[in-house]
Amino acid sequence: MNSFLTALFSGTAQGAIYALVSLGLVLVWRGAGIVNFAQMGQAMFTTYIASQLIQHNYSYWSAFVIALVSGAVLGALVDLGLMRPLTSRKNSQLLNSQSMRTTIPVIASLGILGVLKALAGILWAGEERGFPSPVAPNAIKIGSTNLAITGFDLFVIGVVFLTLVLTTIFFTKTGMGLAMRASALNPEVTRLSGIKVGSVRTLGWAISGTASSLAGLLVTPRTNLSPNTLDLLLIIGFTAAVVGGLSSLAGSVLGGFILGYVISFVNVYSAPENVFIAILAFLLLALFIRPQGILGSKEVRNV
Amino acid sequence: MSKVKTHKIIGLRSTLLAIVFFIFIILLSNQFDAYNQSQLTNIATLLIAVFSITLLTGASGQISLGQGAIMAVGGYSSALLVTRLGFSMWISFILAIFISALFGLFLGLAAARLSGPYLAGTTLVMALAIPSIAVRFEGFFSGDVGLSVDYGNPPDWLTNLLGEISIEVWSLYVVLPFTAIALFAVLNLSNTRTGRTWRAVRDNEVAAALAGINIGRTKVIVFVCASGLAGLAGALYGFRGLVAPSVYPTDLSLTLLTAAVIGGLRSIGGAIFGTFAIVFLPDLIEKITKNFAIPENIGTYLPALTIGLLLLITVILNPRGAAGALEHLRHRKRH
Amino acid sequence: MLEITDLVTEFDSVKALNGITFQAKPGLITTVIGANGAGKSTLLRTISGLERPTTGSIKWFDQELTHKSVEAIVRSGIAQVPEGHAVISQLSVAENIELGGLFRRRIARGDLAIATREVYELFPILYERRNEPAGSLSGGERQMLAISRALVSRPKLLLLDEPSLGLAPLISAQIINIVNQLCRSTGLTVLLVEQNANTALAVADHGILLSLGKVVADLPAKIMIADSSLRAAYLGY
Ligand SMILES: Nc1ncnc2c1ncn2[C@@H]1O[C@H](COP(=O)(O)OP(=O)(O)O)[C@@H](O)[C@H]1O
Ligand SMILES: [Mg+2]
Repeated sequence: MNSFLTALFSGTAQGAIYALVSLGLVLVWRGAGIVNFAQMGQAMFTTYIASQLIQHNYSYWSAFVIALVSGAVLGALVDLGLMRPLTSRKNSQLLNSQSMRTTIPVIASLGILGVLKALAGILWAGEERGFPSPVAPNAIKIGSTNLAITGFDLFVIGVVFLTLVLTTIFFTKTGMGLAMRASALNPEVTRLSGIKVGSVRTLGWAISGTASSLAGLLVTPRTNLSPNTLDLLLIIGFTAAVVGGLSSLAGSVLGGFILGYVISFVNVYSAPENVFIAILAFLLLALFIRPQGILGSKEVRNV
Repeated sequence: MSKVKTHKIIGLRSTLLAIVFFIFIILLSNQFDAYNQSQLTNIATLLIAVFSITLLTGASGQISLGQGAIMAVGGYSSALLVTRLGFSMWISFILAIFISALFGLFLGLAAARLSGPYLAGTTLVMALAIPSIAVRFEGFFSGDVGLSVDYGNPPDWLTNLLGEISIEVWSLYVVLPFTAIALFAVLNLSNTRTGRTWRAVRDNEVAAALAGINIGRTKVIVFVCASGLAGLAGALYGFRGLVAPSVYPTDLSLTLLTAAVIGGLRSIGGAIFGTFAIVFLPDLIEKITKNFAIPENIGTYLPALTIGLLLLITVILNPRGAAGALEHLRHRKRH
Repeated sequence: MLEITDLVTEFDSVKALNGITFQAKPGLITTVIGANGAGKSTLLRTISGLERPTTGSIKWFDQELTHKSVEAIVRSGIAQVPEGHAVISQLSVAENIELGGLFRRRIARGDLAIATREVYELFPILYERRNEPAGSLSGGERQMLAISRALVSRPKLLLLDEPSLGLAPLISAQIINIVNQLCRSTGLTVLLVEQNANTALAVADHGILLSLGKVVADLPAKIMIADSSLRAAYLGY
């Protein structure tokens, strides 16, 4: 019973982080038709920035905010400096084949990932370091009995929940949110409505950068920080996005939580070395049974 | 009638090229010390895997970030055949091709339904998960420790013929025939009808389907061929000494892709250039930085930084890679 | 006044527009007719900046449009209703309409509310179905929605690409009539692309006949409608 609760709570907290990663991937995929494999490389980089700031006696929260802002800036830079020129008209005529137009951005994002990892290694040395959390990672006690949930889990769940509520309000209640949804669904009609689709797309990259940066800040107190720490998170986030539906924001969040439970239950009831195989099996299963994802729509996948 | 004729000429040309390549590498190895001879063996091995990407991405437009995992399949197949069932190394290499191709068939059946980024992500997950299977089923695959295998010793008739052969040179002699045959195969393939069919699928799936090409089947066939090549490379790679999860990390898959991209995804010559580049670049950088007082941590990450930057520069300035740049120059000269 | 001079637009060096010159007078309906593939859509797409012309000029009063971005062209008062009932089917009816006025939500919030009310008055069915996804509308309703999306931007020039395509005759007549009334009552300039010459010429002031990317006739609508030899030669009926 107790191990069930442990799996449930840690699954929720892990799932919340995966949901952020998956949300970040889907935001860019819907907006630009690109899966950004550099996403968690960007997050690794901004987490290092926060870590450096904290080492230089900045408070946790100011480092936290600066990391999120740098996440946004980095995301926007990737779009403005690389992806936009790559997908612009002149270049795509050079690459006059369909498959290359989707392949080239994937390769470009891998290039960014490689550069960011190497830079982090050069700037901040490659060894693992810890990353602080504002809440102690001890189990919460009532009287003398340990609950299955830690204060840190609660902190993670709270922060992600708040983020998701704000994101939902942004997308459903604001003009900019409408512009983002419209650009993703039909860029041409959106441009004909006088909206600068390019800028809206860059904003999507920035929000995605912020979300993944947040994921980095929330996951590293557990995993420690090194240039490679967040690679696994990208793979889990991708699986979550496919399971939930790459075309659906709500689906991506759902997929994140599902993956959180799958991984945490495999960890508790089976063995940690089974996690990768479970992820692969889950991904293949999802692709065979419901390739468009739980909440995804069919047409969008073949663009 | 004329069709048969062109076929023969193409066969002749690729045979010649493969032989020239073979002789070139042998001559090159004579100039090298033992370390660089083993680097040359690495090149000859990885080249086969890079060819698999040239086929997959360059010729048919599918992207795989998991060729390293298929190499692992080939490596484990041959190593298990040799250590557990006592097969000879040579037969185990051939069987590794077929086992990996079979694996590629299953993978291809899933992949044919996937386009672009889906395929990239799925193969990336595979790159991570497959080596971990070896840890999960430790009893069978020997876990993190791995299986020790090697190229053995050169046969007597060869030493009688050539005199003492160092282990490095023998490794090269084992690998090189396979590389030459793989080179011959991919050269031939790209000039035949099959190659044209693949390129049609790459350039425009809808148009290819309208022209009567079975898209799904074509993609699966490409996957099978590419997996066979990657599996062979993996087997050869493992016999350098060890078949273990750490020999086939995720980074290996990405390195192979990098080689194919910077050389030029669509060009076989580009694949050769790119493979030379990724193998020798770290050595070159080390040689250069040795003369400067560069802190150690920068030195360790400099190759990765250079390769990442090369990848980005290629994609931005010249997505067709080194081969494309060469073609461009030749074009300009003519006008 | 819309002035188009020697306009050439190419796709892979095939000229879809091959030196087009004509003018559309303000406050009037000018219709562009021509067979399938004549270049009508390409013309409208070039005007709104979706395609870049190789040479030639497009002037809207004093402004040269050929180097402006799509967004800037829309913001200068030129709205296009693209071919094929282009609405965003996953968004609600109200959201589609909101989208059309989004770019001026800061500068003209008050007028935006008025403009929205006006299109709902023009097409009451849209008001009734405002919370439903646009994908659930019928073809005619989608065309109304596409026009509404364009109208809330308060355009001075409205570009319509085959609004009657695929609609029942009665509904297409109704839509063309509403456009006609709008033009007469508000002074809106309309460039109406149609394959169906009769419907278009009946309401238009001026007709442009396009064939293979060239203007083959530029006549007052009344004269063009009477010239059956032109239609026989270029439209096949
Ligand atoms: N995106 C495009 N790429 C290539 N050719 C095009 C494209 N759009 C239109 N064309 C070609 O330009 C010509 C004019 O097309 P279009 O303007 O759509 O004609 P219309 O609207 O009068 O039917 C046609 O021959 C068409 O095939
Ligand atoms: Mg048209």
